[in-house]
Amino acid sequence: MGELLNFFVSHSFMLRALLVGVLISLCCALLGVSLVLKRFSMIGDGLSHVGFGALAIACAANVAPLYFSIPIVVLAAFLLLAMNEKGALKGDAAIALISTGALAVGVMVTSMTTGMNVDIYNYMFGSILAMSRGDVVLSVLLSVAVIVLFCVFYEEIFAVTFDESFAKATGTRVKAYNFLIAMLTAVTIVVGMRMMGALLISSLIIFPTVTSMRVCKSFRRVVGMSVLVSVVCFVLGLVVSVKLEAPTGASVVCVNIAFLAVFALLGAVLNLPQRSKLFRFRRVLAVLLVLLLLCGAALPFFGGIDIHEAKKLSVVTTSFAPFDFARAVCGDDAEVTMLLSPGEESHTFEPTPGDLLQLEQCDVFVYGGGESDAWADDILSSLDTSKKQIVRMMDVVELQEEQSLEGMQEEEEEEEPYDEHVWTSVFNAQKITAAVCDAVCAADSDHAASFRARAADYTAQMQALDDAFFALAKKKQGQSFIVGDRFPFQYFMTRYGFSFYAAFPGCSAESDANPHTVGFLIDKAKAQQTPVIFKVDLSTGAVANTIAAASGSRVETLYSCHVISAEDFANGETYVTLMQRNLAALDA
Amino acid sequence: MALIECKNVSLGYEHHVVATGINFTAESGDFLCIVGENGSGKSTLVKAILGLKETYSGHLHLGDGLKKKQIGYLPQQTTAQRDFPASVAEVVLSGCLPSKTGVFYSRALRKRAEDNMEKLDILPLKNRCYRELSGGQQQRVLLARALCATEKLLLLDEPVTGLDPLVTAEFYSLISKINRSLGITVLMVSHDLSACLALGTHILHMQNGSAFFGTVEAYRQSDLYRQFTEGGSHG
Repeated sequence: MGELLNFFVSHSFMLRALLVGVLISLCCALLGVSLVLKRFSMIGDGLSHVGFGALAIACAANVAPLYFSIPIVVLAAFLLLAMNEKGALKGDAAIALISTGALAVGVMVTSMTTGMNVDIYNYMFGSILAMSRGDVVLSVLLSVAVIVLFCVFYEEIFAVTFDESFAKATGTRVKAYNFLIAMLTAVTIVVGMRMMGALLISSLIIFPTVTSMRVCKSFRRVVGMSVLVSVVCFVLGLVVSVKLEAPTGASVVCVNIAFLAVFALLGAVLNLPQRSKLFRFRRVLAVLLVLLLLCGAALPFFGGIDIHEAKKLSVVTTSFAPFDFARAVCGDDAEVTMLLSPGEESHTFEPTPGDLLQLEQCDVFVYGGGESDAWADDILSSLDTSKKQIVRMMDVVELQEEQSLEGMQEEEEEEEPYDEHVWTSVFNAQKITAAVCDAVCAADSDHAASFRARAADYTAQMQALDDAFFALAKKKQGQSFIVGDRFPFQYFMTRYGFSFYAAFPGCSAESDANPHTVGFLIDKAKAQQTPVIFKVDLSTGAVANTIAAASGSRVETLYSCHVISAEDFANGETYVTLMQRNLAALDA
Repeated sequence: MALIECKNVSLGYEHHVVATGINFTAESGDFLCIVGENGSGKSTLVKAILGLKETYSGHLHLGDGLKKKQIGYLPQQTTAQRDFPASVAEVVLSGCLPSKTGVFYSRALRKRAEDNMEKLDILPLKNRCYRELSGGQQQRVLLARALCATEKLLLLDEPVTGLDPLVTAEFYSLISKINRSLGITVLMVSHDLSACLALGTHILHMQNGSAFFGTVEAYRQSDLYRQFTEGGSHG
């Protein structure tokens, strides 16, 4: 418990997330009561999709996301209400049109500009790191506005929510209140969606009200209970996400689901019909359920955060390649952790609060520095790194700009011009291993001798591999390999002088190849009578399979060593053994 | 002076005239029933009286110091209301909204809500949840709310839709009592012609733009009444 508290207090980003989250939950609960009871819940969902579209466009046009998307979403809210009012389109159809339309535009704009990058992924599923100081200011202002308006116009909001016709007849300005609520909802959604995710934010609006309605029998109590449930669920969700190292948005929604389930049961128990056999026990059952809920809610606070007490040197790495180098150098003399779980997609990886805690407590941190771990630079700048050894792999080697191969599907406006898969050249891997060795020696001089011995041994194995690849490249001179997949092997190709054709650049998360690219690769494969089409590890290989089927070749896997499958990881495969597989596959 | 005076009014929606030449007056204490087939413009007339709709032409005037905000309106129930989590007291109190001056309801307004609940025998249900009440009880709650909004005129839009015959009869006698003992004028839109003839003092029959207005006795003698009842579809 103390550790948990300390974790929140000592990290400004966690405090910001907590503050903004509590305020947003509060606003969502208040606005949600009115929206849900008026059968407007889908407005929240529709607006969050519009918000996603607007953020994607803002991202592409490189303008400040908040200032661009708030007006757009407010406009969409007005449009939705006006369409509903006019009866031109019925509510649900209008919302479905606008939300799917905005999502499609967002995806189009994204795919034509930056590609599905980390930012976009974050907008969809949320990121706890997204809250800047500006967001804190905005959400404080917003929640003050929502609370004041709700208190001042409480009776009017009740009247408008319960019965629009009567409210209108008695001279209440129904339209104005509807627009006010829609506008506040729009702003709340834009501020909240970057933490909760565009696909999940509307749950904050809907769940608390639906949950409270199970047991509360007056509007006032529903409002009060919704606020309570919403805030409690958010805090619990945040703690659960720290504990289980899960994304925050999804954790909060799951806690909400649990609350809804318990409240539904509670409602059923309290409303047991008199003739039911359980009727006499309904009070006891209700008390038991409340106790269950309280115990469940207290559970995440016990047991502290599951972090290994660092008796040994602690080394944290992001992806598989640096993990493998550190593991080889450190042996049993340090605890080496890989943040990316085996089998996890690297380019959409989003650190959980637990990952950040590990990062904060480690002695040595090794990361790439490219597009897929751009978050690391943000975090490091907010941490005290004076007692840490940090290895940024892209600083260790000579960088190459990501080139486009002939026929490759282009990606415009790459944020990061350099290819981040530096370790695919074995020469670079040796350099990085040496740098990791220097770092751990500096962090733990007592074990320096054994670190150096292991590093020397591992780089020697790499040297053999390096020679073998040179020999192979000589043998395969004049022959081109075809990769029907992403191409993270640029450093590899340049180092040894191989010739490649590939479908997409290295970091692309694109999996939908355009017909032109596929056609080009099929023609090449046919012309060269290539026996093998390559796919990259952990990819579905859809494009490679298509090409292979059309040209009568077979599909083999090339290992980028960026990530590793759970199976290979369990079998203790290393960078060297995976690269040996590449050697064999290319030699076939 | 008449409470409502309607002279040669024509009504419509979306540039489509549905009723012309509507003439009637409602004096204080009257029980005016508005009958007519679907689409004859009854609901549009209700909206016009409430000030939610402009008349196309003619003259619709509220007299006797009656303001549009002070009409006790009983709208048709919506599906969303059926499972609305509100207490009876909250719903009735919301009828006092037009008289509210500050942020909260004054003590006097709370007293008014309580009195109206008493009048309609729903005071014991005060803290019950609206969605748990029977259809007849819900209608009484909405009637109490309407009474909170007015001292002069009740406007009822198809008030017995969905109620069973027994509850319907009870509800009618309640309205009749309000009309007689409290001296509140009642305007009721209804399909239930026999009830209108039994309860009402005046009938406004709307049909194809023309209309009949007169006392119940005069209506019984009219050609329109004969056509309407002989047609067999109503009555």
